[in-house]
Amino acid sequence: MSESFTIQVADSLRRFEPNSPRSSPRGNRSPVVPRQQDSTGTLKTTISLGKTPTIVHTGPFYLHKELPGDADLTGATNLMAHYNLEHSYNKFSGKKFKDSLSSFLPGLPGMIDTPGNTDNSSLRSIIEKPPIGGKDLAFLNSSQLAGFRLHPGPLPEQYQISSMAPQKKKQKHKKHKKSSEISVQEPGIGLAGPGVGVVGEGGAGSGGESYEKKHKKQKRHEDEKDRKKKKKEKKKKKQKHSPEHPGASASLATNSNSNPPGMMPLL
Amino acid sequence: MSAALENLENQLELFVENVRQVKIIVSDFQPQGQSVLNQKINSIVQGLQEIDKLKSQVQEVHVPLEVFDYIDEGRNPQLYTKDCMEKALNKNEQVKGKIDSYRKFRAHLLEELSQVFPNETMKYRTARGDDVNRIQ
Repeated sequence: MSESFTIQVADSLRRFEPNSPRSSPRGNRSPVVPRQQDSTGTLKTTISLGKTPTIVHTGPFYLHKELPGDADLTGATNLMAHYNLEHSYNKFSGKKFKDSLSSFLPGLPGMIDTPGNTDNSSLRSIIEKPPIGGKDLAFLNSSQLAGFRLHPGPLPEQYQISSMAPQKKKQKHKKHKKSSEISVQEPGIGLAGPGVGVVGEGGAGSGGESYEKKHKKQKRHEDEKDRKKKKKEKKKKKQKHSPEHPGASASLATNSNSNPPGMMPLL
Repeated sequence: MSAALENLENQLELFVENVRQVKIIVSDFQPQGQSVLNQKINSIVQGLQEIDKLKSQVQEVHVPLEVFDYIDEGRNPQLYTKDCMEKALNKNEQVKGKIDSYRKFRAHLLEELSQVFPNETMKYRTARGDDVNRIQ
């Protein structure tokens, strides 16, 4: 009874409020309109809304638009030839560049191949935190130069090693080469050790260079002989173990007498 | 521009040489070397002044920041140029491949459409006008 009374009251309220959502059959929900798809393909204009509302004129087909203009320069052309960079490209691709910075700047002293982050000498840090500049560069007077009076004597070892490190590496390499050359040369030519060492250490003269070249050639010749000997030994071993070898076939024949044909004893 | 860069390079080399000589003097300092050290310090200041004068001549030289990354890693900066050119060539080849693929696809699609929808395809081709030659 109370439920029917509330429904009647609701209906009466709806009748008296024609513009409210309550008066519509779907309440406050939007009406459902069936979408009529244009199957003829004759839609000629579309209006696009949004940030930049535009009216797009289409042709006889859906989404029929005008093509963009042909660009003179596209990715289909050889851009290296277009910008005359073929010579540069061949130069850079043909040469084998060494990866180190010291190969690009051979005249710079010190260790320049180490990363800049290790000793706070990176170029990035200068860009990110540029040093204070704009001041005049003036010569130092005598009173200012007094601040540069130094104590006599060598630097502490830790600073000496950091400055001498790249040169030491080169010396080690040369010593290693010299020691190997001396050890190979002595039995062949029979020169005195100290005499050879002196010539090697001199290093700067052309006589020393031609001596080293001859030594290298002898070494290569000896290495090739060794390789040939090893190859021959390997071949002999293979032939001994192969069935085609006469020595091997004899041993197989003795075995085959005890075993049936086609069968070998399992080890 | 190349002359300005050569001048700058020469000045920098002289400056580096001065600093190297100061390092040699300081590494095993002797009292009689004090006057030489003072002269070298002033020659360093002079070198900085010369380099400062040359900066106006190289204002228009722009260096990519990626080169600095190569130098900071201790690598040859010429490798940056080589890498750039190789990347440009690879990208060029990629884009050319895409363009050629799209062209072939368009031709193939129109050929198939003309078999299935001959009338509509003819209308489309006439609407496009000069593009008929491109298809063939």
